[in-house]
Amino acid sequence: MEQKKNNQVTKSLLWLLLLIIAVIIPWILGSNQYSVLLVTTVLLYGVMATLWNIIGGLAGQLDLGSFAYLGLGAFTSGTLLIRYNFTPWMGMILGGLVAAGFALLIGIPLFRFRIREVWYALTTCALVEILKVVFTMWEKVGGPVERYLPHYGSLYHMRFSSYIPYYYLMLGLLLIALGVNYRINKTRLGYYLKALGEDEIAAEVLGIDTRSCKLKALVCYSFLIGVTGGIYANMYGYIHPSFFDGQESIKVAILGIVGGRGITYGPLLAALLLVGIQEFLRASIGGDVSGLYLVIYSVILIVVVLFRPKGIATIFQDVYQRVFSRRGVEKKNVQ
Amino acid sequence: MSNEKILTASGITKSFGSLIAVNHVDLEIYEEEIVGLIGPNGAGKTTLFNLINGLETPDQGEVTFKGIDITAMSPHKICQLGMARSFQVTRSFTQMSVEEAIKVGAYNRKNEKEVQEKVEWVINFFGLEEIRDCKCSDLGLASLRKVEVARATATEPNLLLLDEVAAGLTSAELLKLMSELRRLNKEAKIALCVVEHVMQMVMSLCERIFVLDAGELIAQGVPEEISNNQRVIEAYLGRGSYGKTSSAD
Amino acid sequence: METIFQSVFSGVLMGCIYALIALGLSLIFGVMNVVNFAHGDFVMLSMYFTFWAGSLWGIDAVLTPLVTFPLLFLFGVIIYYGLISRTLREHYTIQIAITVGLMTFLRAITQLVWQARPRALTYSFIQGNIQVGGYVIALSRLVSAIISLIIIGSISYFLNRTWPGREIRATSDDLDAASLMGINYQKTYAIAFGLGSSLTAIAGGLLMTFQQVDPTMGLRFGLLSWCILALAGLGSLPGLLISGLIVGVSESLAMTFWDPRARLLVIYLIFVLVLWVRPRGIFGRK
Repeated sequence: MEQKKNNQVTKSLLWLLLLIIAVIIPWILGSNQYSVLLVTTVLLYGVMATLWNIIGGLAGQLDLGSFAYLGLGAFTSGTLLIRYNFTPWMGMILGGLVAAGFALLIGIPLFRFRIREVWYALTTCALVEILKVVFTMWEKVGGPVERYLPHYGSLYHMRFSSYIPYYYLMLGLLLIALGVNYRINKTRLGYYLKALGEDEIAAEVLGIDTRSCKLKALVCYSFLIGVTGGIYANMYGYIHPSFFDGQESIKVAILGIVGGRGITYGPLLAALLLVGIQEFLRASIGGDVSGLYLVIYSVILIVVVLFRPKGIATIFQDVYQRVFSRRGVEKKNVQ
Repeated sequence: MSNEKILTASGITKSFGSLIAVNHVDLEIYEEEIVGLIGPNGAGKTTLFNLINGLETPDQGEVTFKGIDITAMSPHKICQLGMARSFQVTRSFTQMSVEEAIKVGAYNRKNEKEVQEKVEWVINFFGLEEIRDCKCSDLGLASLRKVEVARATATEPNLLLLDEVAAGLTSAELLKLMSELRRLNKEAKIALCVVEHVMQMVMSLCERIFVLDAGELIAQGVPEEISNNQRVIEAYLGRGSYGKTSSAD
Repeated sequence: METIFQSVFSGVLMGCIYALIALGLSLIFGVMNVVNFAHGDFVMLSMYFTFWAGSLWGIDAVLTPLVTFPLLFLFGVIIYYGLISRTLREHYTIQIAITVGLMTFLRAITQLVWQARPRALTYSFIQGNIQVGGYVIALSRLVSAIISLIIIGSISYFLNRTWPGREIRATSDDLDAASLMGINYQKTYAIAFGLGSSLTAIAGGLLMTFQQVDPTMGLRFGLLSWCILALAGLGSLPGLLISGLIVGVSESLAMTFWDPRARLLVIYLIFVLVLWVRPRGIFGRK
């Protein structure tokens, strides 16, 4: 019991330390707006992959549609701002609702007809592409030209003149995403999602309404991604159909898988490492030889998946157990 | 037998393509009794279980549980009504610990506050204290089977369907399992229906036995009746060998 | 009326090539249940090889499959032993992750070698038009469609009539039974994966006679072949061909009568609708 408590304390201290580092990063980078944007981008992927963990990691549904929800959130919030001068602080919530509504519309028939595994993955993947075409052709809202958001430099319109506030907004979202994950993990829904993610039939037989559980997970994930989309639009200062990016949606799922399915901080870890490496490579060699950073990135990805299929978070778990606690060692002795 | 019927299946039929897996089967199970379901391989026992607990829908016939028609009901609703089962080929939650797997079951009737208490009761009942923190993927078959029964028990069923839980157990493990099942029946007042190949277990555990062969119910009764029933012997020895002996005569 | 005919006909021709691409994917997914997200990028890679052979050595695009077919087969076998066989026993998401890694890698490599701008070959001896009863048909498309049909036919013959083909089918029906009968499933899988990949070499060569190639077109071909597979279900070659035609014709009609940008929209809508209505495909055997 004492050991467990100590463990809790070390864990909280570690998290606190990380949070402090995260909070002071923009101060260190302060003068270099480009670096702040890079770090914010890394955080964005951290947020998305962490949220993906709800549907993909816990519920085991390989969702490849994250940028569909991001785009819907961005377009809702952005269009409201352009057309009606509506504050994005509210707009992003509405964006989340639109994204969640769309997810429900798609999710109900998908789960009703028991579309699973690769077919679910491909459907969600196709949705992103469908939305991209729809918004390109829907000239009233989208269209092929970027629509810029007005009111640069206004707090009310969430249009800051520096990237630093967006960084903190993204950090806030990340904390929410982690919190939601942590909370779900500890409650009935989390146990149910994990169970159905592993074996849907066994879950059904234990009294789990798998369809409604999956829908709950999907709505939770799409709503928060939609909210993120509102901030995303304001950060870039425009909305464009290219926000519906199939390739990047797949990347989010890959981060979730590589990080470690079902491990709360796994996707975040993968995002920090992989997106960090990618952005670093892009910044350092991208200009000279286009594509080279992607070659290196994809090789790293393949190697990680081949040698740590359970996720890179498990490396950290091993290290953590060795350094901070003796429980792991004792357990092995018992076995 | 003063108890009331808990489960009635009448005339249920299920075919897959041209194969009739279950053909007009009637069976009743009463509250708090232990019944056995036996039959040669491929007799349709597992399909019958699937039809009863909602994983498959019968082509004909109906199933009532506690007086409610559950013929086309989905498995999770049937479980919430009070029926649970285990699987012949174990379906474990490999990434969970034993305790977590049991908790999944326990959430069926308990809220966040009461759930841990139920988990402790189940772990204690089945003597799983030593392996409660082990991952299911690290367990042997015997433990996996036990965890599956424990998980099903945690949903607080009134009727528990057990599909070959004794397969592959040593005789010591078998005796332990049988005593646990008897206790489960007496203390938790759960009716049991066991599909089993291990005759020793069926004969000593069950009050009544149903015999299924090629999808049809060919006999039912108390263990002594069954072990002397000509059709049952025939089904088990196989018509081929029976024919051979008779032609040799 | 004339435009409808023209549009349908060019859709039919395109559909034959699509069916050929989907056949490769169907071999891989149907036989070993491996989800290959990089399949479309194999097509893209083949197109680049064709471009290379055409622009460096002056080999005509129709003939490059003679070179690229064995090359892609070898490539498929190497990918199988290097990556896929190691993930066969893992969760399906791991397979997807590894093929997505491969997809990113192929895309990046092609971008590195050939740059991002579209490339095309300027000459092929099947270029030009022919007149059939007043309708103008591009010869390259017609020849490509016919070659695709011949290849699909021979693959069907290979699977049904020859010993290695039967081994592949047996393994797809029941892995355990097949390995009991002494079929080395690793070898069979490698052949299936190699064959599935090498079919894209033919498709890539044919496509290059009338299309250009750029590094991002892989995802489109990938989703397109999954769409055909969803329509067809597994295990039915005629179904696959008809589904290819359906996709080709709907794409062509959408481009002619609605909006050129709507071609993808129509394909994806078919895909989603089919999954909702007939999750096992329209022509599936199960």
